[in-house]
Amino acid sequence: MMDDPYVPTAYRVVQRRRETADTVTLQLISPDCPTFAFEPGQFNMISAFGVAEVPISISGSTGRPEILEHTIREVGVATSCLVGLRVGDWVGVRGPFGCGWPMTQAERRDLLVIAGGLGLAPLRSTILHTLGHRERYRRFVVLYGARTPQDVLFRHELEEWRGRFDAEVRLIVDRADATWRGNVGVVTTLFDEVQGMIDPANSVAMICGPDVMMRFCVRELQKRGTPDERIYLSLERNMKCAIGFCGHCQYGPFFLCKDGPVFAYSRLRFLSDVREF
Amino acid sequence: MNDRSILDLLAEHAFTSGLGIEDRRLLADLTTTRSYQPGELLIQEGQPATAFFLVVSGRIAIEVYLKGGETRHLQTVVANSAIGWSWLVPPYRWEFDARALEPSTAIVVDAQRLRDLFGTHCTLGLHLTRELLAVVADRLKSTRLQLLDLYAPSRGGSA
Repeated sequence: MMDDPYVPTAYRVVQRRRETADTVTLQLISPDCPTFAFEPGQFNMISAFGVAEVPISISGSTGRPEILEHTIREVGVATSCLVGLRVGDWVGVRGPFGCGWPMTQAERRDLLVIAGGLGLAPLRSTILHTLGHRERYRRFVVLYGARTPQDVLFRHELEEWRGRFDAEVRLIVDRADATWRGNVGVVTTLFDEVQGMIDPANSVAMICGPDVMMRFCVRELQKRGTPDERIYLSLERNMKCAIGFCGHCQYGPFFLCKDGPVFAYSRLRFLSDVREF
Repeated sequence: MNDRSILDLLAEHAFTSGLGIEDRRLLADLTTTRSYQPGELLIQEGQPATAFFLVVSGRIAIEVYLKGGETRHLQTVVANSAIGWSWLVPPYRWEFDARALEPSTAIVVDAQRLRDLFGTHCTLGLHLTRELLAVVADRLKSTRLQLLDLYAPSRGGSA
């Protein structure tokens, strides 16, 4: 963490890996900050110099604090600049900010990770952390829904994770052509596939994706007996200052940048039927 | 496969596990099991809907064919779910294809005889119709969510 949370630290791009047509993962290092400690689920404010600053979840491994990784999709001016960076270019980094996933609470329980679309990026840190400390967790299941086979993130890592004996990784896409031999449908349909692989009442679920997808996942988990206190969501809103001053990311009584972005559903339940939220 | 093992399969399958033993016996009389190789069709669009399928193992793709014979995989059905409701709705013809994606096994129920049985065994008919409605509702929900295109870039998850 920097001394002044408003002052970015300069980081240099040391590797750029294209994930999909519009998404890249950048590896960053800083001469001023040789290690970067963070919790899975936290985010940084990344500056494209002279353009804008945007909140981006950390997608890297806590086990490699010397390398900072961010997976970025091109959706606007700032993210277009960041996606277009080349090795040797510089960015500004403020962070880490926010509350991450409850990795300690999940210890000695079954862990269910559910990702939709780009939501796999903030959960990649969780998956890497879990696999790196596999003895701390019981059964480990990852469900991932993507738009098409071409939109699947971290393809090589997914294949590697699927090959492990101590993790169940299931993938589904919304639509596919005839060459796709995997599952087609929505991520909630994968719950039936992994029924019996985890104990819902004794598991911790971590979900990240579009709000509608998360809402339907919560319902499925509730139906199967996972308590609201152990269903965690990562919410995305318009973070600006990232330290709870500016109010841009206010969500009911919460500032997502400071109180979140990860919340237990039990804390959000009273807002769940308020459509304006 | 003998009656005893079909009865066991019906007792274990989510779709029929809630039936009483007598109803399962009635159903077993109309039932066989069949294995399918990858690429093999279970049902084909336009053909008479003569059977009802309970997937025991493997994965089945629900498909539609497009211009030029190309097919589009719409949804995947896995073990413990069911395939087909056109057998219950006139004119009893399949509306889509279903194709095995991997070696798969299904309980295959004779649709004509099952419809006849519904007329004389209303409790069994009600149970199976409720289960089938749950499957239809699930598929409809999935379809609606797929149509939303939730993972499109403008509305994607967290960056």
